[in-house]
Amino acid sequence: MASDQEYDDQSDEEEAGVRDGRRRTMASRPKDRGQARWEEAANRNWELQEGADGSIEGVLGGLEEASKRKRLLKDTTPLQRGIIRHTLLVFDLSSAMNEKDLRPTRHLLTINYTIMFVREFFEQNPISQLGILGMREGLAVRVSDMSGNPNDHITALKLLRATEPKGNPSLQNALDMARAALYHTPSHGTREVVIVLGALLSSDPGDIHDTIKACIRDRIRVRIIGLAARMHICAEICRKTNGGDESYYSVAVDEVDYRQQLMSITTPPVLRATDTKAQKQNQAALLMMGFPSRIVEEKPTLCACHGNLTRGGYLCSRCKAKVCNLPATCPTCDLTLILSTHLARSYHHLFPLRNWVEVSWSRARQKGSTQCFGCLSSFPVIPAQYDGVEHGRWAVRNKRAEGASESSRYECETCGSHFCIDCDVTCHEVLHNCPGCQSRGHVGGGEGVVDGG
Amino acid sequence: MNAVDATDRAATQEEVEAPSLLTIILDTNPHAWALLADSLPLSKAVANLLVFINAHLAINYANRVAVVVSHSERAEWLYPTPADATLEQAHSNGDGENGNRAGTGGAVQPPDDANKYRPFAQLEYAIMTNLQRLMCTTTPAAISSAPSTMLAGALTRALAYISKQSASTNPTTTATTHFNYSDPSSVAGGNSLNPSDDTTTTSRSNQRLTTRILIVSVSGDLAETYIELMNAIFACQRLSIPIDVLKLAGDPTFLQQAADTTNGIYLSLSNPLARAGMLQYLMFAFLPDAAARERLVMPGEGEGVDFRAACFCHKRVVDIGFVCSICLSIFCEPLADGTCLLCGSHLSMANYGQKPVVVARPKKKGKKKRVVDGGVETPGSGRETPAPG
Repeated sequence: MASDQEYDDQSDEEEAGVRDGRRRTMASRPKDRGQARWEEAANRNWELQEGADGSIEGVLGGLEEASKRKRLLKDTTPLQRGIIRHTLLVFDLSSAMNEKDLRPTRHLLTINYTIMFVREFFEQNPISQLGILGMREGLAVRVSDMSGNPNDHITALKLLRATEPKGNPSLQNALDMARAALYHTPSHGTREVVIVLGALLSSDPGDIHDTIKACIRDRIRVRIIGLAARMHICAEICRKTNGGDESYYSVAVDEVDYRQQLMSITTPPVLRATDTKAQKQNQAALLMMGFPSRIVEEKPTLCACHGNLTRGGYLCSRCKAKVCNLPATCPTCDLTLILSTHLARSYHHLFPLRNWVEVSWSRARQKGSTQCFGCLSSFPVIPAQYDGVEHGRWAVRNKRAEGASESSRYECETCGSHFCIDCDVTCHEVLHNCPGCQSRGHVGGGEGVVDGG
Repeated sequence: MNAVDATDRAATQEEVEAPSLLTIILDTNPHAWALLADSLPLSKAVANLLVFINAHLAINYANRVAVVVSHSERAEWLYPTPADATLEQAHSNGDGENGNRAGTGGAVQPPDDANKYRPFAQLEYAIMTNLQRLMCTTTPAAISSAPSTMLAGALTRALAYISKQSASTNPTTTATTHFNYSDPSSVAGGNSLNPSDDTTTTSRSNQRLTTRILIVSVSGDLAETYIELMNAIFACQRLSIPIDVLKLAGDPTFLQQAADTTNGIYLSLSNPLARAGMLQYLMFAFLPDAAARERLVMPGEGEGVDFRAACFCHKRVVDIGFVCSICLSIFCEPLADGTCLLCGSHLSMANYGQKPVVVARPKKKGKKKRVVDGGVETPGSGRETPAPG
């Protein structure tokens, strides 16, 4: 078979290459097989190459840089994303969560991670709403209602620590309750359900496929994080509600991976152009929102949201009722009240910073960079070049690691400045700005700032 | 061991204050400074700033300072001196040996003065030299055609430097408010679940570097780089870096929001008399660090902050705006044809409260009279209120 031939060729390649997803099942794998996916990810300490002076410092540094960069290299084309999100988090509170394979138990670890997730979610998506459900003893229970205030959820989660998980989970009941909770959400926002499933079964009262069809009709997108093993029904739910996209179901390998997957949900989901039915139902709308200013009063007055006496707050732009903190819905006239900073928080999702590329020694020599442009820390010295051959101490660390630059320099393609690995991570994860692009305005063109920075 | 001679060694550890890194961003927009030339010329302002920096360094021997300048078309480092700048100097001076040999952090040698405290002399010389070089290399084309100032760029460079310095001085912290990039399992805001835990560990670990940013600003309109500026401000909020603002001229625009979001201080010196006392304002308001600020009454606490947004179509300040749900752009009035100006997507419009929603009247039995508070009936209850126009 032709595919057998290709597979044998692949087994001759070096390790750490990125495969393109062609996976063979156990039964059809030939004898002199290539690597399984778990083998690629395994750490091979015995294969580290020593440098000319006998130290492995260069290689270890390269491995460290490669691991830092792995998190960064994701697709940064500006795509249309659903910024106003209505998300429901569904927990598995069944007896399978008492397993201790994730320390201390799956249940406690899930709650810990979820508290961090709630904070990060509202920081990244300030105008969104979150609700939490649980699956316990075959029923779906409500842990906290849909709201935009993170403290409600965190209090409810802390109470959940005290309850003991038991029984079996029921995916159908959870999805039905989620559908009901998301029924009244406006059409311009996204409707998402995130299920964390630790059990390997689902005990449902009826036909789950009807529920799946109803979810598709209601435009609900389901995402599942498994903790044990892949299940066919989970893959089917995720595939059907996301229009055939298989990447919304994943199984966590260990604690770090679990946390990364949970945190990746804080990024707004991509709106698909192929979803014409959803577009006809018109997701985009022009929303009326108020932008109040903060006032400080001499004498305390009652606030409209709690009824407490406070000396300051925000006045609704339409009806002048006082609310304590934003974002909020005015209790009197139902106007959404936000600050422009809340909208600005989501801009970096819509205009992401492009990835930086690794710099080879020849390019480094061309630019002659000695310091990182961002933090002024010095780079390794460019080795002297005689007859096209690299000499010097740094020359021998040619195979550092996949993803790490041989010269420790990373270049922004727009402005051409070189940065170190720490600035790379900072700028892409926290700042979302490129220092080089921002510090060099165009002269004589009338255009101030290079876009995309 | 403590019980032998009854000394409590733990107490002495806590008396040492944490070192503090102060980053100053100086806005040198030539147009704006020219307007201020009669009341506060740039040279006088820089002199005041140098005295302030000396005071900051004198408070704690481990304190550090960094200065970035935000010019009309670029953002440059004044201190620490960047490496390429010193190479230029060495070539132009000719005496590369014992003259201006420098690396990062600058061992730029000032002229020898036996009575001047060496760190102060070094810093002053580096800043003045670099500032002069910046002014000399400014072309007329740069001033005339560029936008007001590159504040977003200066903030971004400062933040990259700060995060590198914090990471290198706090290598072993895990439960900190500073984000640890090397650790894939860390999250902003600290790994601990209880946010109050972070503040107690902060006060006890005295080796940590506390950082803050001071912006001395004279320019008005920063709307060109709005997105980048807001990104930088949110990054400061995440890293718990207070942004203090001293505004000498120009509209407050986003800097007041920046100071408010990051728990910094915003001071505006609007008249020439106030500007003459710039050094006094600097010393009183901006010299105390975060720990001292908790115990002092800081200026600007009692005032409200203007958070209203500017619409994208006319740049008018709006109270109630219309927001596109795809690209989040703000408009001051409902769009005529239902197409967003920025992203071009077709938007459905609601009626925006022109016709209020009314509960349907029950047909049978008696009318339900709605009684409000003191028994006063709302007039015409049950009937639709007349729509305007």
